[in-house]
Amino acid sequence: MSRPSFSPEGVTLGVCLVALGVLWTLSNLGRVEMLPVVRTWWPLSLALWGVLELADLWVRRSSGRS
Amino acid sequence: MSSQPFEPQSPPQAPLPALPGPAPYVRLPKSPGLAAFLSLFPGLGQVYNGKIARAFVFFFAWVGSIYLTSSGHEFPFAFMIPFVYLYNMIDAWKGASAINTRFLGGRTEPEEEAGIESPVWGASLALFGVLILFNNLGWLDLERLARWWPLLLIAVGVYFVYASVQKKKAAESANEPPLL
Repeated sequence: MSRPSFSPEGVTLGVCLVALGVLWTLSNLGRVEMLPVVRTWWPLSLALWGVLELADLWVRRSSGRS
Repeated sequence: MSSQPFEPQSPPQAPLPALPGPAPYVRLPKSPGLAAFLSLFPGLGQVYNGKIARAFVFFFAWVGSIYLTSSGHEFPFAFMIPFVYLYNMIDAWKGASAINTRFLGGRTEPEEEAGIESPVWGASLALFGVLILFNNLGWLDLERLARWWPLLLIAVGVYFVYASVQKKKAAESANEPPLL
């Protein structure tokens, strides 16, 4: 039985919220335009989620073996 | 001669068995009906069941089907809209029931656990994200690749065949008597 490692969904959601908060703050300060940045870069969250799912699987498999 | 009134003798009374008390009330963790109701908005029932990945898949399958139908790809995406919608409700109902069964100590199909242990989900999610990102950055034109979408069907079919063969092999190895 493999041990649980971390929740990829939770980490992705947290990172996305942090990124959104940073962007929104910068947008309020007039440094960046938020909507074009979000429209271009949102798929990065999917890629991050996928990579984290793979990392989670790898961690669980290696902890199951040990 | 004095006559005594006849008193019928009753047979010896056995003690009455104790009646079973009312079954203890068990509050199940999930309501399948509520899960199906929430799935009227695709994905919300899966969120209720704590299956975020499934919620994501159903939501984007539904929205994607609507988008592709409206942008001129009526076949097969117009057929997929009701299919995805109904299957999403059934999946939410079954998911909630499975959680309840596990809560009561029953066994459910280990299908989900097998899926979680596979790298296919993570890899396809990452690939999907990278493809859309490249499209947004102008490094790739997904419109030009659209005609190749049936390759996805082939890939999914191959995966199903592979998974069923693996499942059969696993079942056979589990039923094999141990070698002496």
